[in-house]
Amino acid sequence: MSTGPNRVLGLELARFRYSGASRDTLSGINLSLAPGSLTVVLGDSGSGKSTLGAVLAGMLPRHDGDALDATLHLAGQRIRHRPGAAVRIDPVGWARQVGLLPQDARHYLSGVRATVAEELALGLENAGVPRAQMHRRIAALADRLELHALLDRDPAQLSGGQERLVALAALALDTPTVLVLDEPLAGLDAAAAARICEMLDRLRSGGTALVLLARAVDRLTAGADTVLALRAGSCHELDTAVPADPAPLAPAVRGAPGTPDEVLLGFSGVGIGYPGSAHPVVECLELTVRASECVGLAGPNGSGKTTVLKAAAGLLRPSAGQVHGKSLAAGTVGLLLQNPSDQLFERTVAREVAFGLPRRGPAAARIPAVLDSLGLGEHAQAHPYELPASARRLVALATVLVREPEVLLLDEPTEALDAHGLALLHAALAVVLDRGGAVLLATHDEAFMAATAHRVHRMGPAVAARVRDRTGGPG
Amino acid sequence: MPRTSPLHPFTVLALAAAATATTVAIGRWWLSVAVLLACLLLAAWARRARRLAGLAVAILAPAFGSQLLIHSMADAAGGHVLAAAGPLRITAEGLATAGALGLRTGVLVVAGLLCTLLIDRHDLIAAVDLSPAPPQLGYLLAATLLLLPALEQRQRAIGQAQLLRGATLGGGPRGWFRRVRLRSVPLVLGALQDAADRSAHLAARGFPAAGPHTRLRTVPDSAAQRRVRRIALACIVLGPVAVLAPTWAGAA
Repeated sequence: MSTGPNRVLGLELARFRYSGASRDTLSGINLSLAPGSLTVVLGDSGSGKSTLGAVLAGMLPRHDGDALDATLHLAGQRIRHRPGAAVRIDPVGWARQVGLLPQDARHYLSGVRATVAEELALGLENAGVPRAQMHRRIAALADRLELHALLDRDPAQLSGGQERLVALAALALDTPTVLVLDEPLAGLDAAAAARICEMLDRLRSGGTALVLLARAVDRLTAGADTVLALRAGSCHELDTAVPADPAPLAPAVRGAPGTPDEVLLGFSGVGIGYPGSAHPVVECLELTVRASECVGLAGPNGSGKTTVLKAAAGLLRPSAGQVHGKSLAAGTVGLLLQNPSDQLFERTVAREVAFGLPRRGPAAARIPAVLDSLGLGEHAQAHPYELPASARRLVALATVLVREPEVLLLDEPTEALDAHGLALLHAALAVVLDRGGAVLLATHDEAFMAATAHRVHRMGPAVAARVRDRTGGPG
Repeated sequence: MPRTSPLHPFTVLALAAAATATTVAIGRWWLSVAVLLACLLLAAWARRARRLAGLAVAILAPAFGSQLLIHSMADAAGGHVLAAAGPLRITAEGLATAGALGLRTGVLVVAGLLCTLLIDRHDLIAAVDLSPAPPQLGYLLAATLLLLPALEQRQRAIGQAQLLRGATLGGGPRGWFRRVRLRSVPLVLGALQDAADRSAHLAARGFPAAGPHTRLRTVPDSAAQRRVRRIALACIVLGPVAVLAPTWAGAA
């Protein structure tokens, strides 16, 4: 770590506590970032990574009781926060120095611009950059990131991976001296991830210091100058070098498929389009999912993976062909959506899982066991939004598993899951397959796919790029 | 696909305001009908005629009904009684008054609705941003105009999630009320959470702008349009005065 004057950001944090919390979220953290450095902070969900990112980005403490005892050094200035006497931060001036990509990239997008190009330009517009210069900078960025196909799209109708790509591009356009990235590769396909890695390399060589907040080592963490482990809010420097390519997970779930003839879910010549669209998102899909089989859906962002899952769940009606299978006839298909916040709307975890279930039915009786199996038993009376991202994802999974679906549909199930959550997900999939059910999952997580899927169906490139998705974007 | 106006949003608004002010001031039924027909034709060009008709009927039917009740059913002044029952008298004068007022209200409502259908809301926000108006006005306008589509998208996502969880809503008014009850709380809470999550990033990106700002989006404009806007603004003020001044002079 850089300690001398050659640093772009320094943090000496004694402690940080959220307003109304009974314990500190962060304590005893020292960071010093040199220009062009890569600092990796590894930690499980709930370890305080996102809080640390927000402190670095000047978004915490809020002036409603958060207690921060820390000193920051930025752009030649020393900023001293004391509990009860937090310094008021100019968010624009701070963001010119430190940019933050949040864990949910949707929060970075403004929601007030009509096209991706305008979304990218938002920061430049507010800084008064002339239009011609904005066009030049956006065109250059689009060349580097191959974003041209997205520039005229409505940001509200991008897939999850595309949202992350656009948010990162918008951050890069503002060229801050420090970039804090919370899980930057989550939900990105291999090509998009490679483009992001290349862009971040270029930013680093241009002097931008990167702070990477991650749950586990990945391709981005290779070449890190410093790797810190965040546990219960405290940082510990790791001595060991980070492997460039982590070993794939053991195929804990994948066994031999069961009764091979029983088709639980099938797609015969299925085409799916959206109203107002000239082109279908999915064309001539042929796919069968049999009992005790786990099938993976792979493909670039926007290739229609989410669309296929929604059609299997009965949320979308195919414009051509037929979705069939025993599970459809029985109505026992369960879908885990990509974004858990789309799936959570009750005020406690227990009420959330019980939603829609007959009160005295067998499914309602299963709730405690399902919560325990996913490590959520102690959070039964907590509000889902108060839980860390990994636990929130598991709550969404519990709402699906409690119905014991014959076919379990999973959209990017490993997003936001930490190592513990991932192990619980593996166990849950094994239970579904063991009882003769099937799993159809869409993911960019190759290691998870390799560990779970008996076979992988590869979707074509994004026909969907031309399509208006009125229900949340083709995935 | 619906079309939007190729004109600057302020030009459309100024023309609509001028036409409405002058027509209401003149108060001739044939002029009101002509303006309503013109609005309908423009909506047909924009491929939104049915939408305009549906919205206009939804707003005007109760308004026109109240005009009928007030001026026609209980008219005490008219001489040509068409029907009478106890205190209720339907007179020709009352009907004429209700019709004239209903048509004036119709012009006001239909012209306003037409503006919402013809103007691209992003063009309008950009036009306000690029005008000398305070940046907060563009922010307020953006938040207001884009809130409804965002809420609609979110309530659709909530509805899908609830459907997946076996929420049976049923049809008819009971189903509608059940849907509203089930979706409204998570919709409002989700919207508040979303606003809180986005606000820090919006502030970091300098939105709304505190100083000089630009827009990537170009809003179509020309010297001719600017002249048209000035003339329309003059009509808004002077048109009603020119129409009503002789009446005031006669009364004096």
